[in-house]
Order: sequence, then structure tokens, then C-alpha cells
Amino acid sequence: MAYVATRGGERAIEQSERLFRSAMGEITEDRVAEIKKAMPYLIDRVMGEASLYDEDLAALALAQTGGELFEAVLVLRAWRTTQPRLHVAEPIGQDELFTHRRISAAFKDIPGGQVLGPTLDYSHRVLATEVLNGSTYAPEKVDAADKPSPAYQPSVAVWQAENDLLDLPERDETRPEDIPDVTREPLLFPSKRAHTLQSLARAETGGALALGYAAMRGYGQAHPTVNELRLAEAEITVTHPKGTQFSAGRVKVSQAEVVSKKGEKLELGFAATMGWNEVKCISAATLDLNSKGAEKGSATEEEFYLYHTEGVESSGFCIHFKLPHYVTFQSSLDAMRNAKAKKSPKPEPAE
Amino acid sequence: MDRPHSETLSILARSGGEALKAFGETLLPQLGDIDVQKSQTGLVMLPMRDTAQGTAFHLGEVLVSEAQIKHGDLQGYGMRKGRDLEAAMAMALVDLALQGDVAAAACNAFVADQKDIQDVEDRATLCKVEATRVDMETF
Repeated sequence: MAYVATRGGERAIEQSERLFRSAMGEITEDRVAEIKKAMPYLIDRVMGEASLYDEDLAALALAQTGGELFEAVLVLRAWRTTQPRLHVAEPIGQDELFTHRRISAAFKDIPGGQVLGPTLDYSHRVLATEVLNGSTYAPEKVDAADKPSPAYQPSVAVWQAENDLLDLPERDETRPEDIPDVTREPLLFPSKRAHTLQSLARAETGGALALGYAAMRGYGQAHPTVNELRLAEAEITVTHPKGTQFSAGRVKVSQAEVVSKKGEKLELGFAATMGWNEVKCISAATLDLNSKGAEKGSATEEEFYLYHTEGVESSGFCIHFKLPHYVTFQSSLDAMRNAKAKKSPKPEPAE
Repeated sequence: MDRPHSETLSILARSGGEALKAFGETLLPQLGDIDVQKSQTGLVMLPMRDTAQGTAFHLGEVLVSEAQIKHGDLQGYGMRKGRDLEAAMAMALVDLALQGDVAAAACNAFVADQKDIQDVEDRATLCKVEATRVDMETF
């Protein structure tokens, strides 16, 4: 075994970190507050992938890493490990979500109706370049309705079950503190469903989209239709020492059900995440829908997509290839040279 | 007004931090000696129930601030989303005051005011959401 020593490494590393951070300049409380205010969807994405809900910390992580998302998620996950777990909240149900957006692409007349909520889905994607010439872009105000939308909406799946379109699952009565947790147990295969859904909830958005898109394009068994998509807020229900249950506040969550049209009854794929990130949820739900019976090594096979959408591990593995591999690489080169030398014809000895 | 303990705590947890802290300060002289048992930040794991197979799973953890205080046999408790320890302590003070019947009228009035603010906020949000309702017709 050989080693390569580097001279001046400590100084170079110190200066390289300074060079990276100098591009961002001073980080102040005001900058963090501005990032939080200006980029709620980026904050949501980072919180979901980090599995840690706190908008201030997510904004700080973005400020500190210059928006390098993998680094931002990594620093948040690292910070998370410094905190004790105080409580496991009561599980939230679909019909308990304070709903901002709820649509279905499968049924137009769902009970409770459809509200588009905040979205750019139907907008022209035009860059407001006038801002760069000194104008202020001021969004037009919403013409609010006179009456409020119902805060809580029924589940589309329950309505479908009442119409004999699908079979409702049995309710999982596992106590909150006994729910399997991938942050405390290894992910083994075949995976527990609780592990699968938790892993998808913290999956890297681009990874989930890439593999979900592969399934949507035909490299899967089922083409998804969005049964129900929700952007909502969920209560964090905790318990007072006296036993009283109460909400410690609300957090943003997104949830998607996709449906397959095969067989006699509808089959659902499901995914949810913290923060508002519907692309991730639809992609992840598509993977869930396609998972059953997927061929080993295919994009929709559970082990394949869970390993390859874990952003901290995959980005960490990717960037490790930049680290010195001189000895192993040199050894491979030696092997190549030896092989080449053995192949080349030996010169005939002189007479 | 006799509001359920659960509702009072939920309103306090969602109250504006600055208003809650200012109100909590006014209770301190009336509560006497208090034993602070907990004042910390930490995480609450948030599970969800999947609608496809009914499985309960973890969505992720939420950063919260927690305070627990004691005065005689009474315990005051506060837990709020975010990292504002003072606001969690103020919540625990209001909870303790209400249990000990200290400044109960002022506490109930504060909670009622905060409830009104939250209701107005929710209604404003939902009226904007309602403006995005679509009715579809098949031709």
C-alpha cells in the first residue's frame, strides 16, 4: 500500500474555502430574512430534502452555501443531528390539511371541488427584464372572493371507494413513536413501506423527477394520472405534560396521489413531503405506483430509486471522485501497461 | 369564557412572538417564584398517513422551542414551531397563569385577541384560495 503526501495542503484548503465564501461576502440577518421572503419555494425544497422544517435555518443554509443546494441540504442535515428529538407528533391525515391548492386530473367533479391555489401552471413564462432597467415588478393583487374556501377538504380516495372504484386500505394504527424511521434504522430491502415513503419525502427533487419521468415516458408499468394533488398546511399535534393535545403550529406540506387505470379497480401511488414541492410529489408517487413487480435494476424498482434519489449520499459519492485517487489510478495504469507489454510481440533475438 | 385547554394552547403556539413575549412579561411579577424545568430547542417528528395503503410514515422533523415551568403543583408548558425560546417561555407563563387563576381575565382576553387575529388571517387566505376555484364542464 502506498500513500501520497501533499505539501501546503492545509494552507491551500483554508484559502480555497475563503475563496468560495468570499464570493458571497458578509452574511447578515437581513440577507437571511430576504432569502426567506423572496424564495419560499426554494426554502421549501431545501427543507423537504433536509428533512428539517425551519424556514430561517433553510434560508441561512442557502446564504452560507451560495445556493449550492446539495451543500445547503447537507449542512442542514448535519445541524439536525445536534438537536434532541422532543416528541413525535400525531400522524396527519389528508382531510385534516388546511388546504391552499387541490386539483384532480382524473375527476372534474370531486367532492369539495377544485381550487388552483398558488401556481404558475397556466401563466405565460415571460422574464420581467424591465426590472433590470430599474423598474419594479409589482404583482397584481388577488381579487379575493367574498366567502372563504373550505379550510378542510374530504379525501378523493374515500369518495372513489364509496363509488366502488377502489378499495380503501386498512388504517395503520402503529403508535407514532413506533413508526419505522430511516434516520435511526438502516434501509433494508424489501423496504418497509414507512421507510419507502419517508425516503421519498426526503428525496432529492431532481433525482425523483429523473426516475419518475423515466416511468412516465414508458420505462415503467403504469402511466400516472393525478388523482389528487394538494398543497396545504398541517398542524403539528403534540401533547402537554397534563395529556392535553394541541397544535404547536402549522407547517407547509404537499401530497400527491397518482392513479393507474389497469385492472378492475383503481390503484394508487402516493408521496408527500414537507414544504410545497409538487414536481417531487408527483414524480415520487409515480415511482410508488410503478414499484410493484418492477424488474430488478429498473428505474422503478424500489432499491434502485430509493438509493439513487438520496441526495446527500449520491452527491457525496459523486464529489468524492474529485479526491486524490493517485495511488489506485497509478496501480490501474501499471496494470494497463503490463497488459499492453504482454500483448506486444517480443522482438526476435539477434542471430 | 371557558375555552378548552387544547384550543388555548394551540392559539398561544400560533400567536405572534413579540405580542406573546410582551404579554408574558406582564405576568412575571404576578406569578412569583418559578422553577424553570425546560427551556430548549429540539425536533418534533411529523408523521403522515398514506392514502394508498394506509401506512403511517415520517414526513420529517420540525424545529420547535419548548419551555416547561413549575410553580407549586402547577406546571406551565409551551411548545412552538421555530427557535424562539422566549416566546415558548411566554406561552408557558400564560399556561401557568391560567391554571393558577392568576390574571385570568387578562390571559383570556389576550388569547381571545390572538384567536381573532388568526381567524382573520385564515379567512383572508381562504378567500384568496376561493378566488382560484374552477368549475369544469364537459362538452
